Amino acid sequence: METLETRENGVVILSVSGRVDAANAGSFQQQLLGLVEAGEHRLVLDLAGLDYMSSAGFRVLLVAAKRVAAVHGKLALASLQEPVREVFEIAGFSSFLRIFSTREDAVAAV
Amino acid sequence: MREVVTFALACELGELERLSALLDEFGERNGVTGKPLFDVKLALDEIVTNVICYAEASQAIVVRLTRAEAELVIEVEDDGRPFDPIRVAAPDVGAPLDERRVGGLGLHFVRTVIDELAYRRCGNKNVLTMKKRL
Repeated sequence: METLETRENGVVILSVSGRVDAANAGSFQQQLLGLVEAGEHRLVLDLAGLDYMSSAGFRVLLVAAKRVAAVHGKLALASLQEPVREVFEIAGFSSFLRIFSTREDAVAAV
Repeated sequence: MREVVTFALACELGELERLSALLDEFGERNGVTGKPLFDVKLALDEIVTNVICYAEASQAIVVRLTRAEAELVIEVEDDGRPFDPIRVAAPDVGAPLDERRVGGLGLHFVRTVIDELAYRRCGNKNVLTMKKRL
């Protein structure tokens, strides 16, 4: 897993690439929750480079979505690859996470 | 076309990435690519992760893959505590965010992407057999 943090119009964009599994989900969680705790309440996850994510990564997203909701923040996801998007459907996460096909749309939505 | 391959994995989370690479190689040799390969990688990752994190196994986890005519048969064997993943309750994936509970998703993924799942306790071993139609 590699991550890159950028900022656009007051929105923090965390780009995640490679694979998220139980071995690195802890550092993904630290980074994502770290942003929320640092007061960043408008967040976009750009997943264009994410090839694979197991339930360990979904768990991180669920925890993050709950934290963001608790501070009345906004979180959106962008550019999911098809196999990863299908796992989002299986997880039922598309019902509470907003997913956009482009990063621009996600940034505009938060 | 019938290749049988056995991998032994140490009980360390670092093995997950190696497992993924081994599956890519197996898939390439046996014409299993795209979505079926992704599904098998996901299911195996979830099962092996559970064993590593919760089973307290003392020996290596053994994964056996058999490429049969129309399906891939995946067997996972560990000497950890008895655990039947089939009996674990499914999470409520329709629950709204504030009621959604953390956990239980991994086995839900396995049950969704795998066509047949069978568990047996064999002596001091858990043996899980998964079949993925191709």
